[in-house]
Amino acid sequence: MSTLTILRAGPLVTVQDLGRPGQLIHGISASGALDRSAYRLAGALAGKAAGAALEFTSAGLGLRYSGTDCTAGFAGGQFGLTLNGEPRQWPLALNLTDGDVIDITTGPWGNYGYIRFEKQIDCAPVMGSRSTNAVVGLGGYEGRALRAGDELALVPLDGSSVPETIHTVSGQHQLSDPIRVTWSVHADLFPETARSSFISTQFQITARMDRMGVRLKDAAGVFTDANILSLVSDSIVPGDIQILGDGTPIVLLRDHQPTGGYPRIATVISADLDRFAQIRSGRMVRFQPVTVEAAQAALKGTL
Amino acid sequence: MPDLPIPRIVPLGDSALLVRFSDRIGDEATSAVVAFARTAEDARLPGVTEIVPNLVSVLLLYDPTRITFTGLSAELRLAISRRRDDAGETRSYSIAIRFGGADGPDLDAVAEALGMDSHTFIARHNGAPLRILATGFAPGFVYCGLHAEDMRLPRRNAVRDRVPPGSVLFAAGQTAITSTPIPTGWHVIGRTDFSNFDPAGTPPTLLRAGDSVIFEAMA
Repeated sequence: MSTLTILRAGPLVTVQDLGRPGQLIHGISASGALDRSAYRLAGALAGKAAGAALEFTSAGLGLRYSGTDCTAGFAGGQFGLTLNGEPRQWPLALNLTDGDVIDITTGPWGNYGYIRFEKQIDCAPVMGSRSTNAVVGLGGYEGRALRAGDELALVPLDGSSVPETIHTVSGQHQLSDPIRVTWSVHADLFPETARSSFISTQFQITARMDRMGVRLKDAAGVFTDANILSLVSDSIVPGDIQILGDGTPIVLLRDHQPTGGYPRIATVISADLDRFAQIRSGRMVRFQPVTVEAAQAALKGTL
Repeated sequence: MPDLPIPRIVPLGDSALLVRFSDRIGDEATSAVVAFARTAEDARLPGVTEIVPNLVSVLLLYDPTRITFTGLSAELRLAISRRRDDAGETRSYSIAIRFGGADGPDLDAVAEALGMDSHTFIARHNGAPLRILATGFAPGFVYCGLHAEDMRLPRRNAVRDRVPPGSVLFAAGQTAITSTPIPTGWHVIGRTDFSNFDPAGTPPTLLRAGDSVIFEAMA
């Protein structure tokens, strides 16, 4: 058996895999890695097969590895990484040996990075997944984000893990491309002027971001007077852009509440959701409407 | 047999759609939702991975590499034309509630706003069985309804940051029960020891949309 000791943890270091779909009927959203393409790349770098990931945020993570030799893959955004004090190029694969110390620090771009091992992180699957939903205290390591001093055991893979195939990973050069959306369930409740301003205006990503969602700054006041009230709660999907009562737009991510009553104008397409999650606060983002058919074609192109 | 409401099929992103029966909560819409969710389950629709009844709509998640939105919409229109008009097999539950006091700090204000004393409110609240309308918002959180027209209040203006599991909430013609700590703008009228959520259970929640529930006051 091998052990990971967390030496330093930025906010929101969590165990994640591809999540627990199928539980919305019980009021549980799927969670899972916010940048799936990066999660997959980390798995491909780790070797023939890999277990669940540690997902970390731009503040990074320090950890010590104890045990028999083990390959690990590191991907997502671009972080700084040292192995026993020696800088390495990101993304990367490392063959870890007993006593290795890894320190990951903020880099030029990206909000979320992933480490995966050719072993499994030893926490019990909850409803088929090791993903942490810290909002409701479910899954992962005690249902919470990791902190300094936590120790996680790594155990052999059970054989259900399959090799990852990678076609595309969101890269820095694509971060300023428009984020494609489809119009959402309440788009028709917004005035035409708000809909056209929504696609002609740039919104700023704010620091108020977590696994539930990302708040945008609506400096142009596109939604200041939107004032749509009294909607019946309805299903939410990751990528939905809801407008709060005060006009603040929020792009909902994988730890979203399963249902909500705020109006939703648009939904980020699946093919662009990984890329969106990696955009740092302070940057501007523009939304571009596409048809559902175009969104589905784009998704097929990433698989 | 009365005519069933004709729903709208609305895309929700590129891997989900809603079959929406109404924009407003009402007995007709909630009945149609439960009946159609069961119909859709029985229909084994191609590419559909998840079917979830909501208050006024049914969510279907699907795999867009297996079926397009247009293709699934056509399948759904066929299923809608052949749908059943009942909820199928449902179960009945009795749930005991401690009303008022520290367990239900808003009870007296709710009764007063409805123009009755709290004993009358409790008697009215528990007087008839309610239906489980949907599970949503948080793990195991159930919406039960609908109360009679003269038993309806909007939500509070202020949101409580955290109410404990088992809180019995009241607003918008419904009673809701929490299973995890949540923030809420609903009135808190009581507390129950009943838990609808067990992460290790199969299934992890007990109550299903369409089930019937009768509330009882505990001393």
